[in-house]
Amino acid sequence: MFEWKPEILRRLSPLKLSPTREAEIAEEIAQHLEDRYQERLATGQSEDAAYRAALDELKDEDLLARRLQRVEMNFYREPIAPGKDGTNYFSSIVQDIRYALRMLRKSPGFTAVAILTLALGIGANTAIFSVVNGVLLRPLAFQQSQQLCVIREIIPQLTQFYPTFPANLSSFGIWQRELHSFENIGIADGISMDFVGRGGAIELPGVKVSSNLLDTLGVHPAFGRTFRPEEDQPGRDNEVILTDSFWRSEFQADPTIIGKAITLNGKSFFIVAVLPSSFHFPQSSELGALTNFSPHLAFLKPLGEDASQIGPLCDFDYAAIGRLRPGVTLAQALSELNVVQAQIANEANEHMDLRAEIIPLDSEMLGSARQGLLFLLAAVGAVLLIICVNLANLLLARLPRRMREAAIRTALGASRARLVRQMLTESVLLGILGGTLGILLAYFAVNAIVSAAPPGIPRLAEVSLDSRVLLFAVVTSVVTAVLFGVLPAWHIAHTEPQDALKSGATNTTESRRTRSLRSSLIGLEVALSTVLLILAGLFTSSLVHLLRVDTGFSAEHVLAADVALPPQSYSSNAASASFYDQVLATIRALPGVRSAGWINDLPLEGEGSVSVIGLPTTNKEDVLHFPLADYRVATPDYFSTMGIPVIAGRIYTEADRGRELVVISQNVAERLWPGKDPSGQLCLINWGGWKSFQVIGVVGDIRTIQMDKAPVMMVYMQALPFDHPVALGGSIVVRTMMDPSGAASAVREAINKIDSSVPITALRPMTAVISKSVDTRRFQMFLALLFAVCALFLASLGIFGVVAYSVEQRRHELGIRMALGAQLENLRAMILLQGMAPVALGLLAGVAVSLFLGRLIAGLLFGVRAFDPLTFGSIAAVVIIVALAACYIPARRAMRVDPMAALRYG
Amino acid sequence: MEWKKGSAELLILSLVEARPRHGCEIGKLIEQRSDGTIRFHVASLYPRLYRLERRGWLHRRWVEKSGQRRRRYYRVTRQGRRVLASQLARICGRHRPHHGG
Repeated sequence: MFEWKPEILRRLSPLKLSPTREAEIAEEIAQHLEDRYQERLATGQSEDAAYRAALDELKDEDLLARRLQRVEMNFYREPIAPGKDGTNYFSSIVQDIRYALRMLRKSPGFTAVAILTLALGIGANTAIFSVVNGVLLRPLAFQQSQQLCVIREIIPQLTQFYPTFPANLSSFGIWQRELHSFENIGIADGISMDFVGRGGAIELPGVKVSSNLLDTLGVHPAFGRTFRPEEDQPGRDNEVILTDSFWRSEFQADPTIIGKAITLNGKSFFIVAVLPSSFHFPQSSELGALTNFSPHLAFLKPLGEDASQIGPLCDFDYAAIGRLRPGVTLAQALSELNVVQAQIANEANEHMDLRAEIIPLDSEMLGSARQGLLFLLAAVGAVLLIICVNLANLLLARLPRRMREAAIRTALGASRARLVRQMLTESVLLGILGGTLGILLAYFAVNAIVSAAPPGIPRLAEVSLDSRVLLFAVVTSVVTAVLFGVLPAWHIAHTEPQDALKSGATNTTESRRTRSLRSSLIGLEVALSTVLLILAGLFTSSLVHLLRVDTGFSAEHVLAADVALPPQSYSSNAASASFYDQVLATIRALPGVRSAGWINDLPLEGEGSVSVIGLPTTNKEDVLHFPLADYRVATPDYFSTMGIPVIAGRIYTEADRGRELVVISQNVAERLWPGKDPSGQLCLINWGGWKSFQVIGVVGDIRTIQMDKAPVMMVYMQALPFDHPVALGGSIVVRTMMDPSGAASAVREAINKIDSSVPITALRPMTAVISKSVDTRRFQMFLALLFAVCALFLASLGIFGVVAYSVEQRRHELGIRMALGAQLENLRAMILLQGMAPVALGLLAGVAVSLFLGRLIAGLLFGVRAFDPLTFGSIAAVVIIVALAACYIPARRAMRVDPMAALRYG
Repeated sequence: MEWKKGSAELLILSLVEARPRHGCEIGKLIEQRSDGTIRFHVASLYPRLYRLERRGWLHRRWVEKSGQRRRRYYRVTRQGRRVLASQLARICGRHRPHHGG
């Protein structure tokens, strides 16, 4: 046999094939040439002639390479699925991806719309999920936080007023000695101290803690030491531990800070440690009612209280956090605790029972935030689902074109599985691109949410994009992509290729099945957006009701300035009263000021001082039958300034100073003296001991604690019956003739003029106080409404797309109908009717689901029933109008169809 | 016969429909059946075969017979058979009106 191979290999060399492939081809062609050669020899040709004739088969030097090039080189770029032999799995995936990229590039409009809407949807979901993750899912930043719990005391006789109370100092001492279920129990109470920093005098928020609190939480300082047990004692409590943020902002992260002193309330405190930046102490109400912690703590200081000076049944002020011993259940700990509580009550002998409640720290901290956040996650998820439906619809609309391509590929050997894989590769690619952009958007959205959210949402400071959030984003992207890609892919795989090929190149119409599928998707979209709109509508309506609630006072034209008197210069009630007298006199003299007054705690800014009130005839032993009232200290002008009406009697005046008089709210009067005028009557008040006061007047009830809670019973006094630090802080309220904000700087100057060392901690119109008290609701409503409006907008785009597409598809049919004399109005009605049918079904389904869901969120509503007919009706109207508009635009376009043109070219 | 693009493929498919054949045999048969009017030389036959194979219409395998060097045999796949059938149907269908009219 001749050596044909070198000749062949030389010709193949420009192709740069893989050695195996090259050898294969060379062997086959060599065999061919050899056959030809042998044939020629058999017919009697000379060896030389036979050889040349055989070699002639290869023709020109480069013809073989040129011909082969198209087959061999284009192979990997060819959109044909070649079946299972010859290629490996990986390269076919690469091929799918390259093909998908080419298809996406070919329709840039569709690709851009898909990627952008996906990015918005995935971004919003990732952002809300990162809040849910930070707030609900991530364990608290304390060691083995599942062992931590909050202990609250229960006084069964007072549960109608307060179901539970924070801990009392003397109970704490007994718990530490007697309880074995806990490894450790620590207590804490929020305080604020005056500090003169770089920015002038400020009130510095901090916490006083028992020396073991950090050990209980399992927190180690970044550097320095924790408090020692002896530092719990009064007089030995002159150490502080700084938080990371305060250390950085005030001391520029000075590493040699330990042992230095800072001045708080005019007293020196030595810095013994700095907390790690991961330390987040629960804020405000996260440890239950009646506790108060600022969201931005600056320092911790030791307790400095003598438990023996505190009675067993007063001053329930402390948040108690316990760490259960491993293996001890909540129930076991609680039964042990209740035995001890019964002993305490027994020994106190005050006719009061005492019990306790133990709540896992995480569930106490998250409280009601869980429901709202999960609702938001569901809402934003629904928006993503609508985006999925829209994209699925868009893909379905593009199907007829893709159908031809799929048919050709099937004819060329692609299997159904391969077609599905190709289609899904395209959607997953879109999902990944959209998801990547979405993560970027989420990063900004999370920052925006954290800075815009009201302080009511717990653990917000811990929200960030962590690995779990990223995993969520990736999984969401892929699942979304599969969701919107699977229907069109399934559809393509189940279409007979011949059908698609037969219908011709130009006039590929969608099948009846595709059309009904697209209609049901529209129904789903409308149902989802209806649900979101109704729920958002209920929230909005709640907020409107809440803002319209009669607060009992008039906030318009009132300015409120909070001040905090430094205790070292105002050690007596008389000193602080003199300060406020001078300030009020100065402010009253300002132009544009109608009146000015002072109160120790503004309404809607937290709990005041709560104690019992009764009649002199009430048995003092039977203290539990006395109602609880909220006590406030207010100057005479406070009532007129706030517009609180006098119902009976009068308000105390300057001349009454020193007399033991009180003004009560209407509900106290009705409770203690039903049907009578209480003016001049005596009442019994327990405020550090029993004392009787004369009721001088009755004023209207006001919303004091929360806008959505009925007014509590109020008792107003001229001054506290003893020197008490409660009188140090307070709010100056000023009624102005014009916009109250305009008077702000004059009021600030007036206060500074009397004593420039008094910090003004807040200065805002009273309307802002009301507005702030509903911030959490407003935030929740804003997000719900935002998602609902997005949903409706997306759904209307979906409706528009489907109707417009169907009009486009039916141009020919419409042309025939017109040519046959159909009335334009009838045609338009037909298109509208067909477009609106799935909308109507979706609307009904949405209303039905909302009726069910409304019951679940009833607790979040105010002043509106879960089945509020007005909300349901108006949302239904909005959905119908938007859907009609979305159908009408394409329907009108259909009327412009020229029958002759449609017939000729349609 | 009208020499159209695609006809060569059809010819190849129909040749290997009955039984597997090797490249040289295919080339020879085409030449014979067209009475010498169509002649495939190596540089045009093999690229065609490879293309049909890539499309999944042909399947090839090496066959070794005793005393001979191994050869590559081509047979039509189910896919190829379908294409062949539909192409033939189209050709017949296109000609039908002439016969009828």
